Amino acid sequence: MFKALQSKTNGIFNYSDYKKPVYKIVYCIILFFLFVAALTAITPPLWLFISSFKEASELTSVPYRLFPKVFDIGKIVSVWKMLNFGKYFLNSIIVVLGAVVCSIVFNGLLAYSFAILKPRGYKFFYGLVLLSYMIPAFSSIVPLFLSIVDLKLQNTFIPLWLMFGANAFYLMMMKNYFESLPKSIFEAAAMDKCGAFKTFFLIVLPLSKPIIGVVAIFTMTAAWSDFLLPYLVLQDDNMMTVIVKIYNLKDTMGSMQGFGPDKLLMVLTISIIPQILIFLIFQKRITASAYAGAVKE
Amino acid sequence: MENSLPSKIIDRTSSSYKIKKFLRKNLGGWLIMLPGLALFTFFVWKPLFQNIILSFSHTMGMKAVGFAGFENYKSVFQDVFFIDALVNTFKYLFWSIIIGFFIPIILGILLSEVVHFRGFFRLGIYFPSIVSGMAVAIMWSYLFDPNPGAVLNQLLARLGFKYSGFLSNPKLTIPLIILTMTWRGAGATALIYLSSLQNISNSQYEAARIDGANWFNRLRFVTFPHLMPTIKLLFILQVISVFQVFYEPMVMTGGGPNGASVSLLLLSYNYYQQMELSKSAAVAVILSLIIIVLTVIYLRLSNPNKREAKNV
Repeated sequence: MFKALQSKTNGIFNYSDYKKPVYKIVYCIILFFLFVAALTAITPPLWLFISSFKEASELTSVPYRLFPKVFDIGKIVSVWKMLNFGKYFLNSIIVVLGAVVCSIVFNGLLAYSFAILKPRGYKFFYGLVLLSYMIPAFSSIVPLFLSIVDLKLQNTFIPLWLMFGANAFYLMMMKNYFESLPKSIFEAAAMDKCGAFKTFFLIVLPLSKPIIGVVAIFTMTAAWSDFLLPYLVLQDDNMMTVIVKIYNLKDTMGSMQGFGPDKLLMVLTISIIPQILIFLIFQKRITASAYAGAVKE
Repeated sequence: MENSLPSKIIDRTSSSYKIKKFLRKNLGGWLIMLPGLALFTFFVWKPLFQNIILSFSHTMGMKAVGFAGFENYKSVFQDVFFIDALVNTFKYLFWSIIIGFFIPIILGILLSEVVHFRGFFRLGIYFPSIVSGMAVAIMWSYLFDPNPGAVLNQLLARLGFKYSGFLSNPKLTIPLIILTMTWRGAGATALIYLSSLQNISNSQYEAARIDGANWFNRLRFVTFPHLMPTIKLLFILQVISVFQVFYEPMVMTGGGPNGASVSLLLLSYNYYQQMELSKSAAVAVILSLIIIVLTVIYLRLSNPNKREAKNV
């Protein structure tokens, strides 16, 4: 086990430290702490998964049993059917897809003009964008909701899509990336009389796949998890996203026949499964994008 | 053919030519800015502006009618819940620094030192960040079930402790809410520290070794100075996000027990639900002001050199 340490050249401890037995113990302590951390991170969702197969009465039993008496996979299907959950999943997917497109196109266009075109007066708007970094997004949600009502956009996905097109954080990430692209590309595009929109869609976007991937993943997670604005805007049950529906279920659980806490836990499990799948499929990209979050400095 | 040439020669000093040139240079850029700026206006700037107006207005239903001066602010300050929320906000901040600030730094350093199971540790520790905040809050409110037969109380009993009321104990509410927030966020933050640590060049550690620095001094004089800008930035981002705590108290406690965990945003939302829009707006404005003032003070304190350089 300690063989791998013999080739460790960087970091606070290197191979020369690990020749001494004391530091081998230190290394074991490092490993131990990381195992504890990883277990702490993974255990609660595992508990949720196991507990969601229990009966309501089994959730609080003395003595406590970790596992349900019967492990009935059919419970997933029965809860799904009871709530007609596919509908909410579809809504969430539609919201997420639209949000990703808006996020890339609108933040991208603005970032492109801030980074490359720099038309007269752009600095003023750039300053305004930076300012909105500091102010809590939630704080002005009431007037926003009222203007959405004025435009009769309640119970539509349009405001939820477009909202992701005005995000200072994504914009800054894309601006930084565009600035790193070689200038000659844009000069060549200008020589060919390629219009600004055309240049953006045909040249800038295809060259920016890495940052688009990062922004897309961030937007996907954020749009799937978003709650407050969707909760205010989507009041029709047929339009609700998964997260809005879950909150609704939690709120009205007491008055619903045949829907107890065990079923709510099952709904939570169901809602987390697609996130885990996306995580497992894109794990390399997602952890890489967590790094990219640091680029914003 | 040659006769037609003079008409094509353009007077480069004429104002119409200058305007044309100016437009050609900027029009494309303006057009491209337009959609993004429209969205920022609708979703960010206009609501912000309206919110400030609203906080100085009387309201009828959902509409602002007439100027109210500082009346809304006065009545907010006289509300017991507002004082609670204000005090709680600083309690949230205190616990979030105690619990949530150091763990990611330590995790980041440990992750950069480990050779075995790297992938497993990174993915495992990052995993909670992908679960939606709402799902996390509901899940933890079940884990913190005060019923003696619930999972954590049974665990406490086996370890020889007394049953706990968890979130229903006013002294524990805020630390436990911060604990769930840390559980969800620490991994992502740790990975940011890790990415910064990976940029330390090996020669710095080597130089420290040659100077006879032991591991503690290497940590103190190489690792920490390198990490400091990231630590400073993430600290202020954490302060800003803790001031905006909302989902967790809303879902886990509803602000209770007896206002012990109500936050400023939750209070603002409660006013909105009671149709007191102008009070809701006033609380939001106060919160924004607190955040801006703290950020500016913090930036001033953390970059004193810049100002001195300007003065010289």
